[in-house]
Amino acid sequence: MSRTATRSETDYLLRKLHSFTGVIPVGAFLAEHFWSNSYALVSRAQYDAKSQELQTIPFRVAVEWLFIFLPMLYHGGYGIYIWLRGKSNISAYPWVGNWLYTTQRYTGLIAFAYIGWHLYTERWLTHGKSTYTDVEDLLQNPYALAFMFIGVLASSFHLGVGIWNFLCKWGLAATVKAQRAAGALGATVGFAFSVIGVLIVLSFWLNWHPFDFYLK
Amino acid sequence: MPDAKEVIVRVKRQVSPKGTPYWEEFALPWRPAMNVIICLRDIAENPVTREGQRTTPISYDSNCLEEVCGSCAMLINGKARMACSALVDKLDQPIRLEPFSKFPVVRDLAVDRQFMFESLKRVKSWIPIDGTYDLGEGPRMAPETQEKAYPLSRCISCGSCLEVCPQVNDNNKFIGAAIISQVRLFNMHPTGAMHAKERIAALMEPGGIQDCANAQNCVKACPKDIPLTESIAEMNRQAWKQALVGWLVG
Repeated sequence: MSRTATRSETDYLLRKLHSFTGVIPVGAFLAEHFWSNSYALVSRAQYDAKSQELQTIPFRVAVEWLFIFLPMLYHGGYGIYIWLRGKSNISAYPWVGNWLYTTQRYTGLIAFAYIGWHLYTERWLTHGKSTYTDVEDLLQNPYALAFMFIGVLASSFHLGVGIWNFLCKWGLAATVKAQRAAGALGATVGFAFSVIGVLIVLSFWLNWHPFDFYLK
Repeated sequence: MPDAKEVIVRVKRQVSPKGTPYWEEFALPWRPAMNVIICLRDIAENPVTREGQRTTPISYDSNCLEEVCGSCAMLINGKARMACSALVDKLDQPIRLEPFSKFPVVRDLAVDRQFMFESLKRVKSWIPIDGTYDLGEGPRMAPETQEKAYPLSRCISCGSCLEVCPQVNDNNKFIGAAIISQVRLFNMHPTGAMHAKERIAALMEPGGIQDCANAQNCVKACPKDIPLTESIAEMNRQAWKQALVGWLVG
């Protein structure tokens, strides 16, 4: 067994880290982000209160870098490396899993580019003090609005497929039955995130607050 | 008239491993229950192209002619298939025959699948039963385990799962689904399990199980209906447990 100890597992561990960071913390952050942003569906003031709460957490910069920026950079960067080492073949084998394999790469790239732009406009340009009005103003630009929809849908799709991949690739869904259930779970998450994401964007764009009756 | 029916076959040919590929077309008289191997045999009997040009018989591997040896795997109308079980009446014509694209071509449709053999050796795809003394009888295998192992033992190393896998290509050394499934088979065996950790460690080397990206083409293409995606998931779980938890709890 001494030979096994000297074998390189670096490639294995980096790949596993890519898979893991996709769900925790990147996927988990997306869930938190959609949740916090959905306060816009209640009212402008509720949204601003929620975002101010998040903008004033202790150790903010460390938390942002350790749990958001670095994991995303790693997941995105290593993801591109994985893409370059694969060769899509959907024209010869147009099966569902194979389609998901290819779309997972494109949606990942779109989401990565979108998140870069989103961070630039909402985090850097506002010095981390973005408000409802900032987002609302940005979305009056039709290109920004379109990119926002594309980014939300690409991220939601990528997370949904990612959950399915994660459960299969960590052997948590091993049998055919379990993998079918994992697929259903991924589809549900992807669909739910898409719907909630689109509702949030609509709320900012149209100044629309369907839950404002709570406050009346 | 049915007896005048023709079968048109286009073959991608290559004289040598480094030769330039070229296509030749053949028109063969149709016969009942014809398969692709019969087409290749008919061409060998009368190696004349559709244009009437005399040529050489086509090189290809085949042996059992009943889908248990794995040697006649090739691309038939662009899809990984076994030539012996590919029935002409069920194929669109002209029937396009190409060698597998993921292995080096030896000549015409014959490819060199040494990579798979090397990978099987790498993961110790066997059960060591020889010692310096008589090791005696091994432990018995539960019928439940036998039922799981049998489907895995049907692998014929045809390479179809590698051919259809987007992760198997020139930029990647991924060993492919068949080999991962063989590790599961041998680790499942009560005597084989004595080397389970070594096989799993080999699976985590570069080009190992981590390069699977879950496109799941392998399980669709497998001519032996081996539950390859189950095998990969199962080995994935054993691998990360060994790599991530093994150093903590042994």
